[in-house]
Amino acid sequence: MTVRLSEGAIESLTKGIEVSNPVLQCVNIRKIDGGNGLSRFRLMMSDGLHTMSSFMLSTQLNPMAEQNQLASNCVCMLKRNVTNVLKDGRRVVVILDMDVIKSADQMAGKIGDPTPYVEGQSKPQQNAAPAPTARPLQSQNGSDGSMNRPSAQSFGKKPMAAPNTPGGSSKVVPIASLNPYQSKWTVRARVTNKGAIRTWSNSRGDGKLFSMELVDESGEIRATGFNNEVDKFYSLIEQGKVYYISKGTLKIANKQFSSLKNDYEMTLNGETTISPCEDSHDVPMVQCDFVSIADLESREKDTIIDVIGVCKNTEDVTRIMTKNSREVSKRNIQLMDMSGRIIQLTMWGNDAETFDGSGQPILAIKGARLSDFGGRSLSTLYSSTVMINPDIPEAYKLRGWYDKEGHAMDGQSMTELRGPGGGGGNTNWKTLAEVKNEHLGHGDKADYFSCIATIVYIRKENCLYQACPSKDCNKKVVDQQNGMYRCEKCDKEFPDFKYRLMLSANIADFGDNQWVTCFQDSAETLLGQNSGYLGQLKDSNESAFDEVFQHANFNTFVFRNRVKLETYNDESRIKVTVVDAKPVDHREYSKRLIINIRKLAAQ
Amino acid sequence: MTGVYESPKPRINASMLAQYIGRSVCLVGRLEKVHPSGKALTLSDGEGKSASVELNEPLDEELSGIVEVIGMVSNKGAIMAVSYTQYREDKISFDLELYNEGLKVLHDFPQYYPFEVSLSG
Repeated sequence: MTVRLSEGAIESLTKGIEVSNPVLQCVNIRKIDGGNGLSRFRLMMSDGLHTMSSFMLSTQLNPMAEQNQLASNCVCMLKRNVTNVLKDGRRVVVILDMDVIKSADQMAGKIGDPTPYVEGQSKPQQNAAPAPTARPLQSQNGSDGSMNRPSAQSFGKKPMAAPNTPGGSSKVVPIASLNPYQSKWTVRARVTNKGAIRTWSNSRGDGKLFSMELVDESGEIRATGFNNEVDKFYSLIEQGKVYYISKGTLKIANKQFSSLKNDYEMTLNGETTISPCEDSHDVPMVQCDFVSIADLESREKDTIIDVIGVCKNTEDVTRIMTKNSREVSKRNIQLMDMSGRIIQLTMWGNDAETFDGSGQPILAIKGARLSDFGGRSLSTLYSSTVMINPDIPEAYKLRGWYDKEGHAMDGQSMTELRGPGGGGGNTNWKTLAEVKNEHLGHGDKADYFSCIATIVYIRKENCLYQACPSKDCNKKVVDQQNGMYRCEKCDKEFPDFKYRLMLSANIADFGDNQWVTCFQDSAETLLGQNSGYLGQLKDSNESAFDEVFQHANFNTFVFRNRVKLETYNDESRIKVTVVDAKPVDHREYSKRLIINIRKLAAQ
Repeated sequence: MTGVYESPKPRINASMLAQYIGRSVCLVGRLEKVHPSGKALTLSDGEGKSASVELNEPLDEELSGIVEVIGMVSNKGAIMAVSYTQYREDKISFDLELYNEGLKVLHDFPQYYPFEVSLSG
């Protein structure tokens, strides 16, 4: 079967004339190894009349070449490409999107008899003119090791731009086309996220840096400035404004620090210029790939996603203690979108403190983390961008929908919120029989579950131990027998100790029973006495002490437990520890039972 | 009326009164009105419907809030009370609507709630 190539396309592309969807045959593919293990593919393409070898495959299309979709003689349609002009005037076409119309093995061979196209000639002929221009270039740039050969067809690494051309004369290129092999470029982009200045100090010295995210119509990229560039640019750049940026260094992106969709990231260097751009209307505010709240259920937890919704409800800001004993502010917000679903979003730090949810604003978050807390919920990260009432079409759509119908909807929440007084961890309700049947705790990590159970027996032997009296230290002390007690952890001796509880109890529900371990707090809840008093009773009034334990039997509680399979030497045993014990909230329990009954009946 | 204590007394709400005429029942509702004579009460159930209660002797105490009444349903659909209990709401309030939901479950699934006991024993 014959296929028509777009004759004349090579000439047009080389002259800088736009060609839409040209059909070209691939004559040759060459792999060039970039630094950092990223390869680039250079193609020689033919339109039946001419060939040109200055085609570079954009790295996002690398798989096409690596998986042999692209091979000599295959015919392709270029859907998106951008032409870059080198310092010497030659053009390189970077292919951003391409379809293979006919694979190599479907083709008999080269179509027609194309000859290499040389600029300025309509009939391709090797001309003396290109050669002299190539040589002066070589002498200028010999130091950077470029592989410029006299033939006009081939070229190696694009020469480093000498700092004699003012930035203004460069054409603006799309962010998506930026690559390490070309340094003379200018982009026009909006700063969507400007981070704070971070300093570091290590054995090699100290320094400072700041990072920002840039976006334009074609894509996004992360840019970082170090030391001198921080001084030069940090105060100049304002988040939300558009700038012309040129001559930064491009390198492979470190995906650990950025979730932006770009293989590369930019470093501002001594030659970089940044100047404000007045005409910024067609530069998008932000590149977001919003996921509908209803779809979040099918996404994996811990993924970074972009979301937009109406703040149906904003809670007050609270301050909590982190594990590192630091205080941090947090605020919960219920976000709702046109899918009718609601999800809880947690904001932290300064954003949480200054957020004003009155008037139910539209809130867009770029780079929020999806968590499986309460089913599904969202959390902002240090790197997230929070936008209130952003100037983007999705926001206007949401506003219109909410004002018309959304405000009256109740919405269905994806985050299972416990009632007032709850709010810790997932409520994973299990009966004691289910815990055993479902082999909870057998995995790598401990499992957590909640259950309603009744105390059947509490062991009173060895329920109390003598602990270090210092605050926050609960280590067992050694009785020195001289009236002093020694704590190994604090490395100190004390004349006294505090009694702490460690109970072994058996709890049961209608189906099964379970031995559990309770520590101080939950133990005091179960026994209804504090450990100090119990210690006294044990020593002074044995029958009163027994009475406490008898009294505790047959009380029912809501237990929140941690279960894990533990191995001592060769023996493996399931150990259940009570994290929390609370009195039964009958109202909540009844509601849950009724819901479960109705659900079962409907099946 | 002593027979009331021998048979099981199904819990019902006001809309079920008609089906239990001549039988002993137990109804829980919120006290709305006490007749000036003290011998009749009006209760509202979890669905908001009203039930009339008639007493043997006039009330000798102040009643308010949630009351549970046990008695026989008369032909007119009122409960001839044999005993009554006021629910304590000092620690936690009684959720009458939730009680009604539970009551509906009892009646929707009689196979799981076999309260009927054969009188012949």
